[in-house]
Amino acid sequence: MKIEGSHTIPAPRDRVFAALTDPDVLQKCIPGCEELQKTADNQYSAKLSAGVGSIKAVFTATVCLEEVTPPTHYKLVVEGKAQPGFVKGTGSLDLAEKDGGTEINYTGDVNVGGMLASVGQRMLQATANMLAGKFFSTLEAETKG
Amino acid sequence: MIPAQFDYIAAKNLDEALQLLAQHKDNAKILAGGHSLIPAMKLRLMQPGVLIDISKIKDLAYIREEGGQVRIGAMTTHYQIESSDLLRRVCPLLTDAAPHLGDVQVRNKGTLGGSLAHADPAADWPAPILALGAEMVVSGAKGERVIKAEEFFVDLLTTALQPGEILREIRFAVSKGKAGQSYVKFRHPASGFAVVGVAVSLTKDAADKCQSASVGITGVAAKAYKATGVENALKGAALDDKSLRAAAAHAADGVTVNSDLFASAEYRKHLAEIYTRRALEQAASRA
Repeated sequence: MKIEGSHTIPAPRDRVFAALTDPDVLQKCIPGCEELQKTADNQYSAKLSAGVGSIKAVFTATVCLEEVTPPTHYKLVVEGKAQPGFVKGTGSLDLAEKDGGTEINYTGDVNVGGMLASVGQRMLQATANMLAGKFFSTLEAETKG
Repeated sequence: MIPAQFDYIAAKNLDEALQLLAQHKDNAKILAGGHSLIPAMKLRLMQPGVLIDISKIKDLAYIREEGGQVRIGAMTTHYQIESSDLLRRVCPLLTDAAPHLGDVQVRNKGTLGGSLAHADPAADWPAPILALGAEMVVSGAKGERVIKAEEFFVDLLTTALQPGEILREIRFAVSKGKAGQSYVKFRHPASGFAVVGVAVSLTKDAADKCQSASVGITGVAAKAYKATGVENALKGAALDDKSLRAAAAHAADGVTVNSDLFASAEYRKHLAEIYTRRALEQAASRA
């Protein structure tokens, strides 16, 4: 499943990039992220309780940052496992300066497998959009002022 | 599959259900007909510790008309709506839509309130409820409040219900004058859910032009929505083929259209326009 979109944040690009690579900020931004621990440079292990409405699954995940090119680009690689299925995804984030703010363009490829995929198929795209929206609105709040 | 272990409490009345909900908080789920909740629990996508069953509360299952207003109790089953002579007379939109839901077993157990509170993006009920401009009466620890249908559906599987609140009643005004209603649906062949479902409630003026039109669409976006683009295009328009077509083209204005293995966003948007036109035609012909 492909996801893509763009989001403009009214904060300078350097600050947005720093926030996007700061584990404390990432933990707040990733919806349902309960733990994010650094295991190596640009590599983290995470515990996520992700879902929509009252449907939730607890994932144990690894998050890697690749192609880190401050302050314009990096790639996020996430692999997560939960009791009802798994998620593997990569996403590229590109940051551009725009009217004093920062435009983030993201493209990603997400694979969902197991029962999550078979019973949740019709809601996956909408779920991905909703989670991406939450991520960026929190990021916006975190980079304010 | 077998659900994780849980406790079951059948509430005797709404007050008891609210007390139990306040006591168990996040650990509890309200059980209505159970046709969405129980499958999710069997798949262990939900693991509530306590189920508070409100489906046995008789006071919550009724269909009444008083002073031009229809009131439906949240625990009224789909079949009770489908077979209601009162609704067939004053609001055929609901009796038309009911047979589209699931199958006979689901309709015998599933409830209007349960379906609305679950807010499945492809459920049938949200479309007619939006088109009727219904109000949701909600009870909580602090008393009662009323939520408009448009504000009730917030996002995917998410409603404006706050923790500790229970949807008690759905109410709406009976259409007056030359009124016509319709619900048409493109049914997913396997699940029976709406790939696209369109509900229309409109009225004609003395010159047979469109006086008011209200359109609710389900299945197309992350939540059911009012197609305001279609409604605005119809206001004061002649209800002829040309203007209905032009109005239907606005069916998916301003929403992010769902995409899944069965229907791409482009295909679903196309279906939304076609089914909106059909619903408009049928409603106009009945008015």
